[in-house]
Order: sequence, then C-alpha cells, then structure tokens
Amino acid sequence: MRDVAIIGAGMIPFGRRDEDTLMDMLAYASLKALDDAGLGDKSVDAVYVGNMGGGMLQRQTAIASSLVDRLSLIPAAAETVENGPASGGSAVKNGLLAVASGYYDYVLVVGGEKMREVTGWRATDFVATMTHPQAEYPYGITLPGMAGMFTRLYMEKYGVTREHLLAVSLKNQEMGALNPYAHVEMALDREGIFDSPHAIVNNPTVADPLHLYDLCPVSDGAAALVLCPLEIAKKLVKPPVLIAGFGQATDTQTLQERDDPTDLKAVTLAAQKAFEMAKLKPGDIHVAELHDAFTILEIAESEHVGFFKKGEGGKAAAAGKTRLGGQIPINVSGGLKARGHPVGATGVAQVVDIVFQLRHELPKNRQVKNAENGLTVNFGGFGNNVLAFVLRRVQP
Amino acid sequence: MKKEIAITAYKCKNCGKIHYPYHDRCLACKGRDFEMVKPQGDVRLLTFTRIYNLPWGFDQRYLTIGIAEFENGVRAMGQINVDESVPLETGMTMKPSWEPVRVQAGENVYGLKFTPIA
Repeated sequence: MRDVAIIGAGMIPFGRRDEDTLMDMLAYASLKALDDAGLGDKSVDAVYVGNMGGGMLQRQTAIASSLVDRLSLIPAAAETVENGPASGGSAVKNGLLAVASGYYDYVLVVGGEKMREVTGWRATDFVATMTHPQAEYPYGITLPGMAGMFTRLYMEKYGVTREHLLAVSLKNQEMGALNPYAHVEMALDREGIFDSPHAIVNNPTVADPLHLYDLCPVSDGAAALVLCPLEIAKKLVKPPVLIAGFGQATDTQTLQERDDPTDLKAVTLAAQKAFEMAKLKPGDIHVAELHDAFTILEIAESEHVGFFKKGEGGKAAAAGKTRLGGQIPINVSGGLKARGHPVGATGVAQVVDIVFQLRHELPKNRQVKNAENGLTVNFGGFGNNVLAFVLRRVQP
Repeated sequence: MKKEIAITAYKCKNCGKIHYPYHDRCLACKGRDFEMVKPQGDVRLLTFTRIYNLPWGFDQRYLTIGIAEFENGVRAMGQINVDESVPLETGMTMKPSWEPVRVQAGENVYGLKFTPIA
C-alpha cells in the first residue's frame, strides 16, 4: 500500500444556491481543488463523487459520468458513491484506496448536494428515507427526531444539559461567522436563544429536547480534493497533507436494537482504526471536524473518539475546552451546525477544512496554531455507518 | 374494530436474542434459525420525542414518537397518542395498539401506537 497525500482542496460557499445546479456546484468545487493542486491541464485517472440525493431531489442519476464530461476529464474512470450522509467520507475512502493500491495516481474526490431545491417538508422526508422502511419510516420519524430520542437518553445517562448543548451551538455559530464558506455566517446571542422569555420564539422546539439552534441547516454546497501518492506530492508546490489513518464501521440500522442506544460503537471503532493506522492517539490530535448535525453529536462523538471520557464531553464544551485555543479545538469551521450540511458534501468538506488547517493557511482568528494532526468523523444514518480520517501535515 | 398488532419479532433459536425488525442472521451469534414471536403485553417507554418539523406526508402540527419495550422484550418504535399538555416520562407504562399512522396514496398505513395508562 502506498502512502496517499492530499494535494488539492477546494470548496464553494455553502448555503442556498438557487442560481446553481447540482452539477454547477460539483464542477466549481472540482475546479478549485484541481487549481489548488496546480495540475494545470493534466487530467486525473479517476473521479469519485459523493452524493446522496441527486436521484430523488434533482431526478438526476449517473452524476459522476456527467461531471467528467462537464470537466473534460474523459476518459477518467468515474463513479458516484451513495452512503447517506457519509457519502462524502465514502468518496474520500474510495479515492484513498484507489491511490494506495497503486491502480491510480491522480484521483479527484468531490462531494455535493443540492437540498434547497425542494421544500423543507420534502427535504425532511428525503433525509428520513435512510431510516428503516418498515420499522421506522412509516411513523413519520425524522433525523432530528432520532437525535431527539438519543439526546433524551444521553441526558438521562450522562447528565448532559441544555447548557452543554448551547455551548456547542454558540461556539460553532461564532466560528461559522468567521468562515466565508459557511451557510450561517451569524454568531448567536445566548440571551436571544436561551435566557430570554422570548427565546422560545427565536429558538423553538424542533424535536424535543432539541431546539432549532441545536440543528444544522439544510444546505446546498460542494467540496473537492485531489489525491496522489505521497512520493509524487512531495515534488509539488503546496505542502501535502498525508491521509495517515482511515477507519470505517457500521452499527444496527435501528436505535432500538442497540444494547445501549447511547453507545455509538461505529464512531468508536472507526476512530480506533484510523488512530491505529496513523500510529497516533486521540491526545496527538490538534484539530477535529466532528459530525455535529445536532449539537448532541459533537458532544457524544468527542467522547467516543477518545478526546474525553464518557459523560465529560458536555462539561468540556461548556468549559471552553473545544474552542479555538482550547484543549482540542472542534469544528473550528463552524461544523455542520454553521458551515451547513449538504449531505453528500459534508465528509469531503470536513477533510478540506482540516487540510486548510494543516497547511496553516487560515486567518489567525480561525487557525489552530502549529496544527500537525487532524481528525474528521463523518456520521451516516444515525451512527450506523461512520468514517474517520486522521490527517497529518507533511514537513517540507 | 380493534386490530391485532401486526408486527412479528424473531427470536434466535440458538442464543435467544429477540430481533425486530427482521434480520437474516442473528445480530449476536449469526444464527439463521428464528422462532416468530408476537409482541406481548403493555409497553415501557424507553425514549421519546415530539417532532414539530414533520416530513412530507404528515399534515399536522406535531407528532410524538417513542421507542418502547413490550413485556416479552420486543422493542419497537411507535407513535404516542397524547396531546402536548400530557407530560411524558421514560419508564412510563403504555397500552399498545395497531392503528393508522399515516395516509399514503389515499390509503391508511397501520402501525404501532402507544397510549399512556391513566
């Protein structure tokens, strides 16, 4: 197996992009990554596109085939990867394995989703199609609903409070306000969404006990990466970022069949595999992008990957340990919470954000000083398919 | 007319683990032989949520949904028959029933509903 590096990273601003088609967004992000890699007119050997909903939302399938045509990358191999909200992470994994195996040298990985084309009613149903078709979906369960039930259990077992969830929300919105790619570039005021008697109007219950600002927005967006063997990457201009570790694990589709529904086993296993491959420990990570589709997930994942003991993640967030400058900065991009969650794009966007961090190219108010190692966790379904990547800055 | 609860759970003949929904192999021991089990008795509420942003197909203000465990160990999701004024708690005992849970293409879709026992 060859070592694989990321030599190009690009992203377009997430948000409501009425003027762009899904293919526009995929193409724009791809070109940014290809330009970032400095490949010029050189083609790539293969393209992997992470997308969950093109078939349902845009009535468009075979998306990767369309993208290589649009980008004049023919005859590159091309595949669309659908793995729910972990589609982006799975696309990165496919690119990684293809280069590591020695079969391809240059691979373009893209993730994208256009969710604002349909009403919130339809988008909520689209996301809910990942639930069990007989045991869950008919009841009207939504992903926020799954998260609400999980949150209640987590609160009862570990003493997580709404104050802890609020700390995550405020932190990620504050960081999102500094990120030009974020969907919600708006810092929140604690008074307005929590303390004030009017907070229930600004921050209504969506899926009890979760409120509006515990949830990520429904977004359009795309992100892209270019991968190649580390040996080639060392000869290029920008500092390469090594994909030092990767792990993926699955769990039961329904929450009710887990022995302990608060135990996100797939997160633990995916992270353990990634750390083992990278020969690093959680304490060696300097910056992390965790899948905070709901505030509770940032807290739970921060425990399951090993940053904090079980039951300590909420307190750590409230104590500022996960802020920029804290013990382990988490979601400095604003996370899904503020950057947004175009489902197929997210797993790629998380890696792009860590690449920016490890290349030390962000402004001071967003850069983790001297960051050398980063972690991403892309969470599919309700924790039933999870991918983790450990990334490492390669010293020039 | 009251309808019989139409879900079936599957008890592994090798290790006894109860599954719902169906799996081709036991989640615990990978056994392939199962005994069909009907859920029995009342249910204990394990967790719940009240959802105000509903998916397409639900033209109402909110839905209350929970996961509950029957007396013989079968766990399943269902809608909870309560209005907003009724406080819910995990651990509550509820009466299960088989009722319409949504309408699709003009037809009722039946599923589990749980009603708190007063």
